[in-house]
Amino acid sequence: MDGIREFRIDKNGLSQNEKIILDKLISAARLIAPIYLEQRNSRFPGANFYPHDASIKEITEAAKKNPAILDPFTVVERSKSNGLVAIPYHLKYKKRLEPVANLLLETAKLSKDRTFTRYLRSRAHSLLEGDYQKSEILWLETETFKFGFVIGPIERYLDKLFFKKCAYQAWVGLIDKKRTQAAENLKRLILESRKRIIPETAKVNVSKVGVRVDRTVIFSGLIADFMFTGANLPNDVDLMEKYGSELTIFETSLALKFKEQQLPVFKAVFEKDFQKSYGQKLLYEASLNCILLHELTHSLIRYRDAEYRLGDLFPVIDELYAYILGIKSLGPLLLKGAITQEELEAVLVMHICRNFTWWIDSLSNPDVSHYAKGAAIALNFFLREGAIKEKRGISWPNFAKIFICVDELCSVLEYFLALGKYGETMKFVDKYSHFDVFERFYPSFKKSSCLLK
Amino acid sequence: MNGGQRKFYLTLEGLAKLKKEHGELTNEKRSQAVERLSRAREFGDLMENSEYFAARDDLMFLDDRIAELENILKKTTIIKQPRQNGVIQLGSMVVIEIDGEINEFSIVGTLEVNPAEKKISNESPIGQALLGKSVGNTVEVKTPIVSYSCKILEVK
Repeated sequence: MDGIREFRIDKNGLSQNEKIILDKLISAARLIAPIYLEQRNSRFPGANFYPHDASIKEITEAAKKNPAILDPFTVVERSKSNGLVAIPYHLKYKKRLEPVANLLLETAKLSKDRTFTRYLRSRAHSLLEGDYQKSEILWLETETFKFGFVIGPIERYLDKLFFKKCAYQAWVGLIDKKRTQAAENLKRLILESRKRIIPETAKVNVSKVGVRVDRTVIFSGLIADFMFTGANLPNDVDLMEKYGSELTIFETSLALKFKEQQLPVFKAVFEKDFQKSYGQKLLYEASLNCILLHELTHSLIRYRDAEYRLGDLFPVIDELYAYILGIKSLGPLLLKGAITQEELEAVLVMHICRNFTWWIDSLSNPDVSHYAKGAAIALNFFLREGAIKEKRGISWPNFAKIFICVDELCSVLEYFLALGKYGETMKFVDKYSHFDVFERFYPSFKKSSCLLK
Repeated sequence: MNGGQRKFYLTLEGLAKLKKEHGELTNEKRSQAVERLSRAREFGDLMENSEYFAARDDLMFLDDRIAELENILKKTTIIKQPRQNGVIQLGSMVVIEIDGEINEFSIVGTLEVNPAEKKISNESPIGQALLGKSVGNTVEVKTPIVSYSCKILEVK
């Protein structure tokens, strides 16, 4: 079904009770997809969150009188007098949400873990009452519980008008304890150093960061379309600051993307002699570390007023900076002997590959265009500095120069997030986000049938 | 570095751990592995006897580890409590600034390295660069990909 991706995983380690719980969670997740499909509409920048004939000016004016117009959890519609009204999600989608909530309450009765039970009950009430804060805090307490489960209106990527409205999604996963421990170790290494804060900025200090690696069973809603390989929640910066954040790495999605996109891109983009230096296992671990670092550094780079100043440019800068800062944070780890040079090189190689995969994704899904723009900025920077050279494939990248570019980009992007104004940020994005570098590789990707369909 | 000439550095705690492991392997686990191998031989037909091969591999692995431990224990130098003279030695806890970030860790021998517990090897790029330096010094730490200036803020 559209809006759902299900994956086969080994459920042998689950008790009978846990299998029943898992089935109920999957059923609840499936019911979210139709709500998402009501919201989704890639023909309009505001999707179906606003009337299609409403201009930015009209919506902004209406929001001055009624702030609910730009609330993350309302749908804006025309009133009988042709004005704009805001309908809360929990009322708009009530009929679809009731069976979801019932399933969560049934699951809560079966669960033997008190924290998970409280979370499920609270989340059921949130879906029906429209207040999500309490259940988000309880979700943070579930930490490394066997099931990873998130459901509700979460991400704003469909709203290209204002980057305000949240779209529905759900995921269910089973924790991979070994990989979670390895991720926890890397997290401690990255977070243990105390970062200097740019003075006079509204930086958010996240109190703690949890991490888990899950084998995903189902994606539903927005996440099924975007096929994220990681998530860092909650998005509310006040909640993050007070209660912390939790990263989830979706191993199943990552493995799929690695096999179907990243590895074919590696083979299409890099010269054959270069390819021989990097085995598949090394590249896979590097890909996993790329996404882990990306999500970790999201917790380090929250500036309270960045969205307001940067508007629709915020997701471009924010996502790119998370990738770049994550890579930069490996430099000191190399000095400490915590990673090898080969491992760092592999991360840089996979970063380049991931940049291409974002462009490929954006060709069929315009909703990920902000990722593609960020990817273009990074590659154009590397090209400008001669860190990568392109002539019938990228030959040996100059890793030292790439790292210098990474350092330079970090400074520029952090400035935009911390203090930058829209105009200057727009100039930078316009200058570096052209897609020429991707389009040069189009013939190579066309030969690989799994990349361009 | 020639493996035969290599020196190892351990704290007293690290040495105690390795001695304990050596004792367990030589006294208890080896005799269990030998017994398992001899039982596996009794299943006959060694070419098709997967339990025999598994038991044989386990015993080989165990003997390799015992030999490794004995080599280490012969060539170990105990890391003494560092002198509190502001100079970085093996065993020192240091606080440095790298690229605007404050890092704190101790420098240990390779056998006790655990970056997650802030124990960095004396043979790592930064370990090598810091040994013998003092508070206030700035050292350049270079690798083929990255290089950083590190300022030494504190030595404990």
